[in-house]
Amino acid sequence: MTPSKSACITPLQAVRDAVNQVDFNRFRFWFQAIGFVLFVYGGYLAIDLGSRLPFFSCGYNQEGRGGVCYLLPLQHQLGRSWPTLFSAASLAILTGFLVFAAWFIVLNKGWCGFICPLGTLQDWITALRRRLGIRYARYSQGQFAQLTRIKYILLALTILIPLGIGGGWFSRDMSPPFCLICPARMILPIFTGDFSQFTIDFSSKTAMFMTALGMAVTGLFLIGSFVKKRFFCFFCPMSALHYLISRPALLKLKKDGDKCTRCGDCYRVCDMEIKEIADDIKTTDIMTDDCTLCLKCVASCPEPGALKATFVGIPIFESTEAGFIKRMTREHAP
Amino acid sequence: MTTIPIHPAGKPAYNLSRQAREAEIVLDHITDDFDGNPAAMQYFYDLFRRVYIQGEALAHEGKLIGTTCIQAPDELIYAMGGTPVRLCNGSYHYDQIGADFMPAKSCSLVKATLGMLHADNPIPRIGKPDLIVNPTTCDQKKKASAMIEDMGYAVYDLEMPNVKDSEEARLYWQRSVRQFAQKLRQVTGRKLTKKNLKAAMARTSRAQAAFRTLHNFRKASPALMLGKDVFLVTNAFFFDDIERWIAAVEKLNAELAQRQADGYQAAQRRAPRILFTGSPPVFPNLKLPLLIEEAGGVVVADETCSANRMLYDMTAVDEWLLHDMVDGLADKYLKPCTCPIFTRNDDRRRRLLELAASFGVDGVVYQAFAGCQVYEMEQKSVAAALNAKGIAMLYIETDYSPDDHGQLTTRIEAFLESIKTRKRKRA
Ligand code: SF4
Ligand code: SF4
Ligand code: SF4
Repeated sequence: MTPSKSACITPLQAVRDAVNQVDFNRFRFWFQAIGFVLFVYGGYLAIDLGSRLPFFSCGYNQEGRGGVCYLLPLQHQLGRSWPTLFSAASLAILTGFLVFAAWFIVLNKGWCGFICPLGTLQDWITALRRRLGIRYARYSQGQFAQLTRIKYILLALTILIPLGIGGGWFSRDMSPPFCLICPARMILPIFTGDFSQFTIDFSSKTAMFMTALGMAVTGLFLIGSFVKKRFFCFFCPMSALHYLISRPALLKLKKDGDKCTRCGDCYRVCDMEIKEIADDIKTTDIMTDDCTLCLKCVASCPEPGALKATFVGIPIFESTEAGFIKRMTREHAP
Repeated sequence: MTTIPIHPAGKPAYNLSRQAREAEIVLDHITDDFDGNPAAMQYFYDLFRRVYIQGEALAHEGKLIGTTCIQAPDELIYAMGGTPVRLCNGSYHYDQIGADFMPAKSCSLVKATLGMLHADNPIPRIGKPDLIVNPTTCDQKKKASAMIEDMGYAVYDLEMPNVKDSEEARLYWQRSVRQFAQKLRQVTGRKLTKKNLKAAMARTSRAQAAFRTLHNFRKASPALMLGKDVFLVTNAFFFDDIERWIAAVEKLNAELAQRQADGYQAAQRRAPRILFTGSPPVFPNLKLPLLIEEAGGVVVADETCSANRMLYDMTAVDEWLLHDMVDGLADKYLKPCTCPIFTRNDDRRRRLLELAASFGVDGVVYQAFAGCQVYEMEQKSVAAALNAKGIAMLYIETDYSPDDHGQLTTRIEAFLESIKTRKRKRA
């Protein structure tokens, strides 16, 4: 019961209220599930959304993929021999990037929170742990400050190593370097019954090293995301790339610091342990580089209008007292 | 201040009547001297009459856990089958008894609480607590621990950081709350489980939802009810059975909804809308809120630990596993708290500005109990923040004694008058 607006409720307001009071976790679960099916099995339905996608719709999932993660073609393009790289033919790199950016700009990091199959997979592993009644791990603030940089280093390597390969400094067996160590390359094809990526390539020392490293990272991914929510996203070079170009994005996470009590409810539910979401009361564009735009914080904030998601400036999902109470009451049910 | 000699032990009748008379005068004033009391308030009027005047004993379930501050998590107590009761006392009579324990210039509330615990037949008649939880907040409460223990009570110091922004403080407090849960386990002989904690949290969150609805009705202008009644409602939360309390508040909310639909006015359209902050009004010491409303103002919101701060902030949990629930609770008790014992008061100032804006407040009344240094010290910075937004603030240093009644009336009337003049000019 919100007394101040009991007088007359416009249809638009009624829709807004309904959205703001949605059973958010359930909504997101199904949204992610559909995204997963679309990008892991979409290929069977002849869905192909191109190869400039801003999330891990892995290209190695040959049969099922509904589109390809941009990092794969990017590394191939950058790995061309330098004469080709610096010729007019490389205009394609630029147009490729623009297409990627165009995809990205629509949902911003929302691709991570709602679509990316590797992100969704981590949430499922988390759900499994929760069902088993095992508690999750957190980083200390010191660890967080150090680890959060790794994704930028990985992004730099993802760009520099292909350039080095093109320049003849590194072996072609290292190409595409990030994909070789990316857990998505090994794990996503499994969902279409393809286990072929689970091999170590003994053809050369470099190949052996890279594929073995890939295996190790995949192992780490499975264990890591069991104990830590969104373990991999913290290190994801795609996430770093996102953040660098996120300014013009259409979907935004906004905060009104005046309305925030700094209760920390949003921080508590944040899978990425982003402290600023609760403590920062000055920044209005509150999406940080680790954020996956999952909007769990918005759903868990009890203060009307303190947090909201906007699309082209229009609020589409907003923190409300009624929404908070409704969702919590649902959770409280035995 | 005249000090009344402490009566020798074994003369409860005298004790009771002094205390009861004080309560009766205030309660009669609340019920009889104002128009338009909501019918649903009758529950609370009766409750206070029974408990504070007739001295009716309060029943409780399981172990009785006394708390001296809102920072002691009620949910943990309920989860382990106990009943929390807030001991903070508002009686001048007990304030005088408690004066023996504390230096001359100390907080009335702390003195009254000590006085009540020391008295032979303390009112409200809650029975002897099995444990008194004393969060280590201000110096006076900290030092009260040992004194309460000397009176023969079991006391637990709930260690609280005096900084709340740092991660260290947060982790320290989480550990502290977990230790408190351990202690409760010893006292109650019950185990904290996912199930009982969730049920306890569901319960307090229903109380909070009821409070928030009431709180929101106070945004209405002209006001739908007076603030003196709201203080009575939240004061009842100190000791009332929580389920009965929720039901009574929901009934009151329904009446307010009806009032709103009918266009009812509990105060004049032009009545200055006051935000109350500072030292907490605890029955029967509702002196200031009553003076404000007698003088034609209406208290539409508050930022005190006997009302808003106690019930407003709600807990979020991500994974309903014990550790996440307990840590979430700990966060809720520490992070949004605007108590002046913390190093910084930015959150308090921001909260006041937010309340002032969303409740259409015309002026703020800031009560500091004489001797409550932390509230006294924050006064200037709070006034500056409010004044910068064009909101007037009246700072009042007072205590539980009725002596300053005349002087306060004059000051409050002048303050309300100046607000009215300004409103008229603006109109
Ligand atoms: S950050 Fe996570 S969700 Fe986003 S692209 Fe990387 S793996 Fe996917
Ligand atoms: S949940 Fe809302 S009010 Fe609480 S800290 Fe986060 S943004 Fe602020
Ligand atoms: S800040 Fe909010 S949207 Fe971003 S990851 Fe955390 S909970 Fe999700």
